[in-house]
Amino acid sequence: MNGLKGINLKKGLNLYYLPTQKFKTSTISVNIHRQLQKKDATKNALIPYVLRRGCRDFPTSQAITQHLEGLYGTIFDCGINKKGEDQIIFFNFEMIDETYLPEDMNLLESVLHFAKAVIFDPVTENAAFKKEYVAQEKEKLKDVIQGLINHKTSYAVERCYQEMCKNERFGIYELGSVEDLNGIDEKNLYEYYKDVMRTSPIDIFVAGSLKRETIVDTVNRFFDMEPAENIAYPSTEIISEVGEHKKVEEELPVAQGKLSLGFRTKISPRDKEYHALVVCNGILGGGPPSKLFNNVRERLSLAYYVFSRLEKFKGLMLVSAGIEVEKYQDALDEILAQIDEIKKGNISDDEYHATISSLVNGIKSLKDNAYHMIEYHISQLLGGTEDSFEDLIEKITAVKKEDVVAVAQNIELDTIYFLKNKQ
Amino acid sequence: MLLKQYHSETLKEDVYHGVHKSGLNVYILPKQGYSKSYAVFATHYGSIDNKFVVPGEKQATEVPDGIAHFLEHKMFEEQEGSVFNQFSRLGALPNAFTSFNMTAYLFSCTDHFYDNLDILLNFVQNPYFTDENVQKEQGIIGQEIRMYEDDPNWRVFFNFLGGLYHHHPVKQDVGGTIDSIGKIDKEILYKCYNTFYHPSNMILFVVGDVDADTVVSHVEKDIKKEHPPQEDIQRIYPEEPSTIYQQKVEQHLSVSIPLFHMGFKDTDIGYGGQRLLKKDITTRILLEMILGKSTSLYQSLYEQGLINSTFDVDFTAEKGYGYTVFGGESPDPEKVRQQILDEINKGQREDLDPKVFERIKKVIFARFLRQFNSIERLANSFTASLFKGIHLFDYMEAYQSVTFKDVQERFESHFKPENMVLSIVKPLE
Repeated sequence: MNGLKGINLKKGLNLYYLPTQKFKTSTISVNIHRQLQKKDATKNALIPYVLRRGCRDFPTSQAITQHLEGLYGTIFDCGINKKGEDQIIFFNFEMIDETYLPEDMNLLESVLHFAKAVIFDPVTENAAFKKEYVAQEKEKLKDVIQGLINHKTSYAVERCYQEMCKNERFGIYELGSVEDLNGIDEKNLYEYYKDVMRTSPIDIFVAGSLKRETIVDTVNRFFDMEPAENIAYPSTEIISEVGEHKKVEEELPVAQGKLSLGFRTKISPRDKEYHALVVCNGILGGGPPSKLFNNVRERLSLAYYVFSRLEKFKGLMLVSAGIEVEKYQDALDEILAQIDEIKKGNISDDEYHATISSLVNGIKSLKDNAYHMIEYHISQLLGGTEDSFEDLIEKITAVKKEDVVAVAQNIELDTIYFLKNKQ
Repeated sequence: MLLKQYHSETLKEDVYHGVHKSGLNVYILPKQGYSKSYAVFATHYGSIDNKFVVPGEKQATEVPDGIAHFLEHKMFEEQEGSVFNQFSRLGALPNAFTSFNMTAYLFSCTDHFYDNLDILLNFVQNPYFTDENVQKEQGIIGQEIRMYEDDPNWRVFFNFLGGLYHHHPVKQDVGGTIDSIGKIDKEILYKCYNTFYHPSNMILFVVGDVDADTVVSHVEKDIKKEHPPQEDIQRIYPEEPSTIYQQKVEQHLSVSIPLFHMGFKDTDIGYGGQRLLKKDITTRILLEMILGKSTSLYQSLYEQGLINSTFDVDFTAEKGYGYTVFGGESPDPEKVRQQILDEINKGQREDLDPKVFERIKKVIFARFLRQFNSIERLANSFTASLFKGIHLFDYMEAYQSVTFKDVQERFESHFKPENMVLSIVKPLE
C-alpha cells in the first residue's frame, strides 16, 4: 500500500500533490463528494452550472471567461463525475506551467484566487442565488439530461444500468432528472449549496512543477472555509442477489441496434479477488486481444464495436455492442458463449498474457496525463485500496488463469437491454 | 540516413528529421520522463483521393468512395493472422485512422518499443487481401457506417459539408456508403495500395522516451524500398466553384433538440506551408473575437436560450479546401444564424478591438502549447501538418507575425453571407 498520501489541511479537506516536470501545464482539481441519492442528485448537478455563471469578483460568465483568457487561456471546467454511488461535483483548472510562461506572473495565485471565488463566493440576491441564473441553468441542465438520447452508444449503456439498478441508488442518472428540476428554485438551491460546502469531504489535487510548500501555503490561504463536525465519504452498496434476469427492449428510429448486457460480479475493489476480475474482464472484452473482439467482430463480423467494462465500485460488468437488429440472437448467444468459455477455463496463453501486458501498459500510461493520474488516485481513495501504480501492476501480474476462472463462476447476468428500430 | 536537429526555445523541445533512401521522411521527438512511446506511420492518402493516375499509366483511375478507410481496416490482416495479436503479445495498443487527407497506423506502448516499431513498419509494407477477408470486412465496416448513420453530430457535419461543396470529395463520408464499399474487391485495394503506400509518400513520426539513433537503425533494417519512384502520383480533384452548393440542409433523426452546424466556405485556398499556417492562426483568433465565449454575441445567444454549452467554433485549413464551422444544440438554429449574420453585417472591421486581439492571442498560444502534453495528439497533429507543408516548430514564427490588421482583413474577406451554409438535424415529428 504505497498509495498517494494526502495532506490533511483541515477536517474534511485534503490536498494531494503530484509533482511532475513533464507537462506544459499545471492542473488543479477540486472534488466535492456527495452521496448519490434521488432527493439531491439534480441539485448537485445544477450547482456547478449555476456557480460558473458568476461570482462576486467576476459576476457574469463573460467576465469569468475574459479573466481566464487573460490568464493565458486557463481552462476552467466543472460538472459531475459519478463513481459508484458517489456523485462528485468537480472543478478543474488547467494553466500554463510557469516554465513556459512568456512573462513573469504568479499564475498559481491568480488561478487559486479564481477557484476560491467561483466555488465559494457566488453572486447572490436576497440570500439566494441570482434568480435569472438558476432559471436559465435549469433549462440548460434539462437540455443535457434529455440530450443523452443523442448519443446512442452511451444511451444504451446508461439505460442498461438504470434498468438493472432500478431499486438502487446507482440507478439514478448522474445529472438527476427533469421532473426533479421542477421543485428547485434560487432559494432552496442556495440553502442546499451552503450545506454542501460545510458537510462534504473535499479532495484537492495539484499536478505540475510547482513547489510543494508553495501549493500547501496557497491552498491553505484560499480554502479557508469552516467545515461541519460530521463529514463522511459516500458509500456504495454491492448487490449479490440476482434471481431471474430481466429483459428490456426499447424502440427508437435507429439504423443500428445496440445491445447492452449488465452482469453482477459481487466483487468490490477491496476484495482479494478484485484483480482477477480485472483480468477476467480484459480477457472477455478489453480490446483487440479479447474474446469478444476476436469472435463477435473478427470471426463473425457481427459488430464494429464490442467491449466489456467494469463499474468497479458497484461490482458490475457491462458488455456493449452495435449490431444489425435482426442479428440480436446471434450476437447475444455469442457473447454469452464467450463468457461460458472463460467459466469452463478455455483461456489461451495468448489471451491471458496479452491481456495482462495490455493492462500493465494501460496502468503505466496513466502517468502521461495529469487528469488520468488524478482520476486514478480518486479511484484508489474511493475504492479504499491506496495502491500506487506499481502496487497495482504487481497485483495484476500475480493473477493466475485459475483465479480468473474462479471469479468468472460468480459473474451473473442481471439485465439484457436492447435498443432496436421500429419494425 | 542523416538526422538534422531542430530546437524550439519556446517549447523546450527538440525534433530530429531525416530522409531514408526510399524517400520516407522520419521525425523523432524525444520526450524524457514519459512512460509511453508512440509511433505513427502515415501515408498522404485519404478519403478525398479517389481519382488519380497510377505512376506509369496514362489513364486516370477512379475508385469507390470509402476505399482509403477500407484499406486501413484490411492492412491489419496478414497471412499469419491479425497484426493486433502481434502487438497485443507485447502489451502495445495499436490503432489506425483515416481522415480526408491521410491514413495513419500507430501504436503506443510502455515496453518493447523497438519490437513494436518493427511490427508497425513491417505490416504496413505487407498487404494481404483475399476475396474472403474483403467480404468479411464489408460486414464490420457496414456496422461502422450504421453507427455513424445514428450519430447526429456526424450527420449534421457531413450535411454541412454537402451544402458547402458542389463536387469536392470532402463532402463524401470518409467510410463511404454500404453501397460503395460493396463494390470494393482485392484488385482495387492492391492498386490503391501500390499507388499510395510507397515510403516516399509517407511519414514516420516517433515520440517518447526513445533514442533517435536506435529508431534510425530500425528504419534502415525494416524499410524494404531502395529508392523513390520515378514519377509522382497525380491526384485529380474535380473543379470546385467558389460558391456554395446549398444554403440550408435539413435531416430528421431521433434527437431531443435540434443540432446545427453553420459556417463559411473558404475561397482563399490553393496553398500550403507557412502561409497556410498563418491563415489558420489568423482565422482562429478572428473566430474567438467574434463568437468566442467571452464575446457579447455568445453571451446574448446563451442568455436567450438559443445556444448552450455545446456551442463551439472551429476552422479547417487544407491546401485544397477550407471552412469555418460553428455549431451545437439550439431550439431555433435559424434564429442563431440570423443573429450571427446581423452581428457580422453590422460589425465593420473598425469594431474589432485591438485589446481583445491581444488577449485572444494568449489563449491561442496556450492551446498550441497544450498539444505538447499528449504524445498522441502531438504526433498526429505534427504529421497532419507536415502533409500540408507545415513544420510545427515554425508555429511561433507564424504566430508572432499575425497582426491585428491581418485579422481585420480576414474578417472582410471570409465572412461573406452568400458563402454561409446552415445544416440542421431536427427531432422527428
